Amino acid sequence: MRAVMALAFKDLLVLARVRSAVFFTYLWPFLVAIMFGVIFAGPGRGSARIGIAVCDEDCTPASEDFAARLAESGNLDILRAERDEAAALVRRGSRTAAVVLPRGFGEAAQRLFYGTPPRVEVLIDPSRKAESAMIEGILFQQAARSMQRRLSDRAASQEMIRKSLEDLDSAHDIDPAERTRITRFLGELDRFMGSRPQEPQSSGAAAEWKPLEIVTTDTAREWSGPRNSFEVTFPQGILWGIIGCVMSFGISIVSERTHGTLQRLQIAPLTRSQLLAGKALACLVSITIVEVALLAMGGLFFQVRPSSLGLLVVACLAISVAFVGIMMLVSTLGRTEQAAAGAGWAVMLPMAMLGGGMMPLFLMPSWLQAASTISPVRWSLLALEGAMWRRFSPQEMALPCAVLLALGIVCFLAGARAFRSDS
Amino acid sequence: MLTLQDVHKRYGSITALDGLSLEIRRGEIFGLLGPNGAGKTTTVNIAVGLLAPDRGSVSIEGLGSPRAPAARRRLGVAPQALALYETLSGEQNLRFFGRIYGLSGRKLAERVDWAFDFVALAERRRDAVRTYSGGMKRRLNLAAALIHDPELILLDEPTAGVDPQSRNSIYENILALKRQGRTILYTTHYIEEAERMCDRVAVMDHGKVLALDSVPGLLAAHGARAVLVAELSGETVRVETDDPMAELHRLAASGPLGRFWVEHATLEQVFLNLTGRELRD
Repeated sequence: MRAVMALAFKDLLVLARVRSAVFFTYLWPFLVAIMFGVIFAGPGRGSARIGIAVCDEDCTPASEDFAARLAESGNLDILRAERDEAAALVRRGSRTAAVVLPRGFGEAAQRLFYGTPPRVEVLIDPSRKAESAMIEGILFQQAARSMQRRLSDRAASQEMIRKSLEDLDSAHDIDPAERTRITRFLGELDRFMGSRPQEPQSSGAAAEWKPLEIVTTDTAREWSGPRNSFEVTFPQGILWGIIGCVMSFGISIVSERTHGTLQRLQIAPLTRSQLLAGKALACLVSITIVEVALLAMGGLFFQVRPSSLGLLVVACLAISVAFVGIMMLVSTLGRTEQAAAGAGWAVMLPMAMLGGGMMPLFLMPSWLQAASTISPVRWSLLALEGAMWRRFSPQEMALPCAVLLALGIVCFLAGARAFRSDS
Repeated sequence: MLTLQDVHKRYGSITALDGLSLEIRRGEIFGLLGPNGAGKTTTVNIAVGLLAPDRGSVSIEGLGSPRAPAARRRLGVAPQALALYETLSGEQNLRFFGRIYGLSGRKLAERVDWAFDFVALAERRRDAVRTYSGGMKRRLNLAAALIHDPELILLDEPTAGVDPQSRNSIYENILALKRQGRTILYTTHYIEEAERMCDRVAVMDHGKVLALDSVPGLLAAHGARAVLVAELSGETVRVETDDPMAELHRLAASGPLGRFWVEHATLEQVFLNLTGRELRD
C-alpha cells in the first residue's frame, strides 16, 4: 500500500508542477461555472413585470387616477412618456408596449350605460400576443375597478347618473323609445343610489359591492427545477474539471512510457496491479478535489445546495469511479502523448457535448436526451443534479450510480488489459 | 551472480538474441560491447525481467528469476533513456524511487543524501530536473539506480551524450561501486570505455556473443600482430611482427635508423575484426 501511495503522491506532485494542467483542471471549470451561471442567470422563481410606457394626453383627474392605478397593479413597470417617445421605446424593444390615454378619456369615464366609452390605445408588436393579452386584461381590470369604486360611492354615482341624463337629453341621434327606456333606468338607479347611506358600511350586503370576490391563498408550487443558474453550471463545471483530470492522468501514463520512467517502475519490485492502483488513486484523489472544491465554492458563494448530502457523496463517488475507468481507457488510445491527447479529446468532447456538458439536459430536445444516455457525462450530471435540485430518492439515484459504476469497472478492466498487453 | 543461458528473443521477423549465453561473476565489471542493434539493450531488459525470453533462462545467484520481487530489490538499473520526472526536483525523484523500493524515514533520507554526494549533485538536489545539463541528468539517472543499494547494477549506455567531465565522473562512480563489491553489467559502444572499465568484455553482434574474455585476452586472440614503424635511410618502414625488439635489431643492422615506434593491436581493431566495417544505423 505504501508503494501505491508513493505512486499516487508522485503523480499528484507531477500534476501540480504543470501550471497549465492545474489551471485547466481546477480553476478553469470554476470560472466557466461562474461565467455561464451569470450569463444564464434568470429571474429565478419570481415573475417579471411587463415594462410599458404610459402616455397621458388627457391629463384629467380620471386619466391620472387610471395611470396611477396601473402603476399600483404590481404587474406593470410603468414609464411615463409622450406618445412619440413611447412608440419609439416599443419599436426599439425597450418597452413591451405603450398605453396611450387620449383626450376625452376622463369625460367618457364619467358616463354610465350611455355614450362613447373611455378609450385606451395600446401600441404593441403583433408578435407579442401573450403580453398583449395580459396588458388588455390588466386594463379591463383597472376599468372595472374604477366603475366599481364609483358605484360604491353614492355621491359619485349620482353625479355620474346626472351627467349621463344631461348627455341623453342633448343627444339627437337616439331612438325616442330607447331614450325613454334609458332615462327610466337611470332615474330608477338614481333613486336606488339616493336611498343608500352616504358612507358605505363596513360589512354586509350593502357594503362596497364587487361582481366577483377572489380569495387568493399563497400555495407555492413544489419546485422541481434548479433554484438558480449556478445549480446547472456548477455540475457542468465539475464535469469539465473531471474531464481535465482524465486527460491529464491518461496522458501521464503514455508519458511514463515515452519518457522511460514506466520502464524503471516496471523493473522496481511493484506488481502491475500496484502500478495501476497508484495511477487510479491519483486520478481518484484529483477528481475528488475537483468535486469538493467546486461544490464548496458553489455552496458558499452561489447558493448551490444539495437536497441530500448523503446522495451527493454517493453520486460523487460513482462519478469518480466511472472517470478513473475512462482515464485508463484514454491512456491506451495512443502510443505518444500527442496521439493520446488527440484521440482522448476526440472521444471526450462529443461525450461531454452530447451528455449535457454544454447545453443543460432539460433544455435538450427529447430525441437528444434519449441519445445522451450513451454518454457517461449525462449520467454524471443526472446523479449530481439528482442530489441537488432534482431531489432524487435513493431509488431514483440507484440507476445513474449503477450505470456509472458499471461503466467505470468495465473501462478500467479494458484499459488495464490493454496496459498489460502493451507492457 | 547473473547467468543467461541460451537466450532467444525475436521481435516479429527480427532476431534480437540468438542463443545468447553469459555468466557475470560477483564483483566484476562486465562489459557488453557491440554496434547499434547488436542486442545489448534487449539483453539488459531480459536480464532485469522487463522482457521474457522466447527461449532460454535467466537467473540471479540465490534468487532465481529476475522477475521475482526479492530479486528486483537486489537489482539496480540505469536505463539508456533518462528515466526521470523532469518537472520534479532531483530530490523528489530520488525520494520517490526510494519509496517504491520500500525505503522510508531516516533510511530513505540517508540513502538520498548518499546518492547526491556520490554523483556530486548535492547542490542541485532541490532544482527541477529539467534545469539540469545532460551530464547532470545522466548522473541523477545513475543515482536513481543506486538509491536502494543494489548488489547487481545494470548500466545501459550510461555515458551516452555527456561531456568529458561528466563522463569521467561517471567512470569514477562505477569504479567506486566495483571497489564496494558491487557487480556491474555495463553496455556500451564506446570501445575506450570497455578497455578502461571492464574486467571482462563480451563482443556481441546480431544477438550472439562473438568473443568473451579480458581485454588482453581478446587482443591476444583476435587482435592483429604488433607493427614496428621505423625511419630507415629517410624512408618510413612498417613491419608486422611478433617480436618487435628482434625486428628492430635486424633493421638497425641494415642501415641508419631514425625514429621508430611500435603499434600494438587495440580493442577497436578487435571489435572491427569481429563485427565488420559496414555502417550500422
